[in-house]
Amino acid sequence: MAASSGAPAADAQGSSPISANDDPPHFQYSVLLDHLIGDRRPIKDLNPAVMAGLPVPYKTDEQKMIERAMESCTFKAALACVGGFVLGGAFGVFTAGIDTNVGFDPKDPMRTPTAREVLKDMGQRGMSYAKNFAIVGAMFSCTECVIESYRGQSDWKNAVYSGCVTGGAIGFRAGLKAGLLGCGGFAAFSAAIEYYLR
Amino acid sequence: MDPMKAQQLAAELEVEMMADMYNRMTNACHRKCVPPHYKEPELTKGEAVCLDRCVAKYLDLHEKLGRKLTELSVQDEEVMRKAAIGSG
Repeated sequence: MAASSGAPAADAQGSSPISANDDPPHFQYSVLLDHLIGDRRPIKDLNPAVMAGLPVPYKTDEQKMIERAMESCTFKAALACVGGFVLGGAFGVFTAGIDTNVGFDPKDPMRTPTAREVLKDMGQRGMSYAKNFAIVGAMFSCTECVIESYRGQSDWKNAVYSGCVTGGAIGFRAGLKAGLLGCGGFAAFSAAIEYYLR
Repeated sequence: MDPMKAQQLAAELEVEMMADMYNRMTNACHRKCVPPHYKEPELTKGEAVCLDRCVAKYLDLHEKLGRKLTELSVQDEEVMRKAAIGSG
């Protein structure tokens, strides 16, 4: 570029030689833009402390990994599964406690069952309820998390959609109509719970 | 224009530009992704996912538009230079 000759310290920002009665030197925006936002821009470290936000201490890789695992859909489903198992077990044992048919022996209806038989029956009932609750809880939580990730919003509709999917999946094994009924029922139940919670 | 000078000037302007971009990006993504309900202090999964997508799109757009703008400004410079040579 024909810069002003013999004056290396001159701030010649134009591409044409400077002279007193010329137009002001032509400022080449394109070169500047190239270095700012075009192809020759430097590699930036996008960090809020650099970009005039509040400086935040860096998170270590392990911390990021743990946080990502705890926010993932699989972890939430597993949590709901375990919670459902415990809740189902408690609920099953409780209902067995107030049920008069526990320990009933069909071969000899008049005999009072022994304590061991009653306990075994209660345990079986509790285990069966626990497994059902665990499966339903895991399905509901998993579908809700997936739907929420897909939509990118968190409102009451996520629970309603996933309630319909879960209820439909459970009822579908007994036919299409039962599936639709399960969908509607579970969705309504989820909507009621969401209304109460929000 | 001297590339070294352009680089120095760009380095000075860059800080301000990045701060401005960061502010605008935070405002835009907050407005789009976080509804003003504030029932709990933590970001929900949906909001976090939305913010990830918003930032990725914003930066992608910033890069594409920057490249396009420098292209257009180079073309502009050519035209103006030819006009200057023609009239000079």
